[in-house]
Amino acid sequence: MSVRRFSILKLTLKVVLVFIILMLVVGPFVGIAIWSFARVWYWPSPIPQELTLRYWSEVFRQGRVLDSLILSLKIALLTVGFSIAIAIPAAYAFARYRLPAERILLFLFLMPQAFPQLPVFINLARIFGKMGLRGNMWGIVMAHTMASLVFSLWIITATFKSIPLELEQAAQNLGASRWRVFWTITFPLGIPGVIAGAIHVFLWSMGEFNAAFFIGAPFIQTAPVLMYTASAGYNMQIASVIAIVLMIPSLLFMFVIERFLKAEYIAGIGG
Amino acid sequence: MKRRRELFVGFLLILPALIVLGALYVYPLILSVYTSFTVGEKYGLANYAKAFDIYWRDIVYSVLISFVTTVVTLFASVVVSGYLRFRNWKFLELMYKLPLFIPFLIVGHAMRVFLAPHGTLNNLLTRILRIEELPGLSRSWIGLVWAFVWIMTPYATLIVLGAFRSLDSAYIEAAQNVGASKWKIIIDVLIPMCRPSIMVAFILTFVRTISSLTIPIMVGPASPNMITVNMMFRVNYFNDWGTANALGVISYLIVMVFAIYYLKFMAAERGGIKA
Repeated sequence: MSVRRFSILKLTLKVVLVFIILMLVVGPFVGIAIWSFARVWYWPSPIPQELTLRYWSEVFRQGRVLDSLILSLKIALLTVGFSIAIAIPAAYAFARYRLPAERILLFLFLMPQAFPQLPVFINLARIFGKMGLRGNMWGIVMAHTMASLVFSLWIITATFKSIPLELEQAAQNLGASRWRVFWTITFPLGIPGVIAGAIHVFLWSMGEFNAAFFIGAPFIQTAPVLMYTASAGYNMQIASVIAIVLMIPSLLFMFVIERFLKAEYIAGIGG
Repeated sequence: MKRRRELFVGFLLILPALIVLGALYVYPLILSVYTSFTVGEKYGLANYAKAFDIYWRDIVYSVLISFVTTVVTLFASVVVSGYLRFRNWKFLELMYKLPLFIPFLIVGHAMRVFLAPHGTLNNLLTRILRIEELPGLSRSWIGLVWAFVWIMTPYATLIVLGAFRSLDSAYIEAAQNVGASKWKIIIDVLIPMCRPSIMVAFILTFVRTISSLTIPIMVGPASPNMITVNMMFRVNYFNDWGTANALGVISYLIVMVFAIYYLKFMAAERGGIKA
């Protein structure tokens, strides 16, 4: 009897704990999910007095919401292309070659994660302003390529390093050139890591605010910048709709790429 | 000769990345330091004097907020990691990873709605506790720290739990055999043995908090501000690049010691993998 009561107590505790964790972690999204459907919502009603699909329809209709999402998508895809194309050779070099001044290079490529990035973006906006790249999509693409390069590089380097050297040496012993070894052995085996890196760059670029704000605004607005403007202007519905649209890929892909990522390499980013 | 050639090929392979980093990171970084020392055509410390004069309170505030955030985050991540090191709980595993890739700005907006005076949290709490009104946490330092802890904990946990899990179980079993409780094992065995990883989690949390702009503009109080918000105001409303960059350089100096520790740790670790 006492054993049974004990387990009921334990179960109750566990239910309470689950509830608290859910409230802390998932709770913040319940609010914006409800707001995205609200037409009229006054305190103290727990749910909106009137619901509407109007704000969601803006995602699919010609207008500033759809425009900003398309712009963000374009920037993110271009960034992935440039970032990965530049990162692959550099990652291979870090994984397999002896490099001149290796320690300095290592420090240099880790530095953006160890120091605040905001001043760099602000000054980049100033430089781009003089070159006529402010308010230009390509200015944002360049800034995103630079900032994402440092983490895509380390993700791909780690992948290349995990491929056994013996496989490459075996091919080389049979007379294959280094170029051929890379394309027939190292690269195909490294594809999962490259894809993980690409997804991470894509997600990061889609949600990036600082560079997009200082370089793009007010001339062009990416989805996060529009979300900020809407939220600051108390247009909670538009802000919440964009927030949810941007959040969905983050949650979906989290499970795909999480195991490829080493927190030490990716944690320096953010906003 | 062969060694020379290898060095050359390796250098060529990283050259594109080096050019991008040099032009788009190192150059603006140097420019930010240079601009912070220039007023008009003259060089001097006027920008720093101005920055300290107007913003000294905000500088102290930023450091304090980042410090409190870091301490709370580390505590939370050690508790979660400690639990998951001993027990397998899929639900907790999923929950701590959920916020990993959600952009900061979106977290800021969600937290603003969640922590508002009539927001989701108070809506729920007033009903459970059956009271009329609760104060809102957004636009206060508690709300700011809350939002920061929420996004920083997953990364910190990833690092700390990774270290806890890679530790040989023999140490833990030995402590258990002499009758140590789980708490005691965490405090006396796991934490001391994983100190370098915990240090990295500490540093990354601190640096990311003090350099975040989006969270304070979404949930932070109107005054005092984090210095990142001041940088934005200086540029956007006053077109005052000198003071903005002085604040930027001050933020570099605040994290300097941590950054150097992190760079050394990572370089050593990567060197280890390479050999």
